[in-house]
Amino acid sequence: MAMGDIAFLLLIFIVLLARARDESHLVWQPATGTELVKPTNRNASVVIDKQNVTYLNGRPVQVQNLAAELDSLLGDLPAGGRTVLFKVHKNVIAEFFEPAIEAVSGAGGELHHVLEPAPNPSPVP
Amino acid sequence: MKLRRPKYLVEMPTSAMNDIAFILIVFFLVCASVEPEDGRSQVIPRSEKNEEQQASQTTEVGLTPATVTIDGTPYRLNEFQSRIRQILAQKKTEAERVVVLKSQADVPYEHWIGMTGIIERAGGVVTLLLEEEQTVNIN
Repeated sequence: MAMGDIAFLLLIFIVLLARARDESHLVWQPATGTELVKPTNRNASVVIDKQNVTYLNGRPVQVQNLAAELDSLLGDLPAGGRTVLFKVHKNVIAEFFEPAIEAVSGAGGELHHVLEPAPNPSPVP
Repeated sequence: MKLRRPKYLVEMPTSAMNDIAFILIVFFLVCASVEPEDGRSQVIPRSEKNEEQQASQTTEVGLTPATVTIDGTPYRLNEFQSRIRQILAQKKTEAERVVVLKSQADVPYEHWIGMTGIIERAGGVVTLLLEEEQTVNIN
């Protein structure tokens, strides 16, 4: 019986830890794209939500500080292993997402735009 | 009248309770970890902040919410794909295939990602041209 309780508490602990990095509270809707692939790795995640607020790993961050924070996160990781997931709400305008792209690029991050597959065009009758 | 409460001979079985809780938590964990990650990788060189730094042979694409231009000439969205393919097909080296993208501040991400996708599928390397902010003090 005690074994079950311990397992239960451990799982709750893990769930709470996982929630600390969770991004499910952020409201964003992906743009559509074709020929989508899965990222090879994921070292950091940048989200720009519906309200044009930028988040790094679920935590709000100023775009001016994004490059420096990404730089410390990515450290000396080799090329090919510096993937930054980039999740932008589809209606966010260039004024907000281009400086973030520039920051990722400046920190040596490899952008991976998270998109949803475009719906198949309806067949022509 | 006094009602007699019936005495059950067996208690509710709780021995499987832990297993049920365990399976439920594992189920929620699996559900929570399924986040979309499919997308498109993009390598963007650092932006050109000074127009003088641009090589003369690069192509410049201008984006507004409704239009797209190549080296200042406007194209319809359906014409853009074939035109950029034609232009980039003539370029031999990777340096020549660099496409400088200049977007208006109000271009939505969905439009931007669609256009950069077309450029990259045509063999172009997208680089951004950002406007540099300058502060001018007036006495």
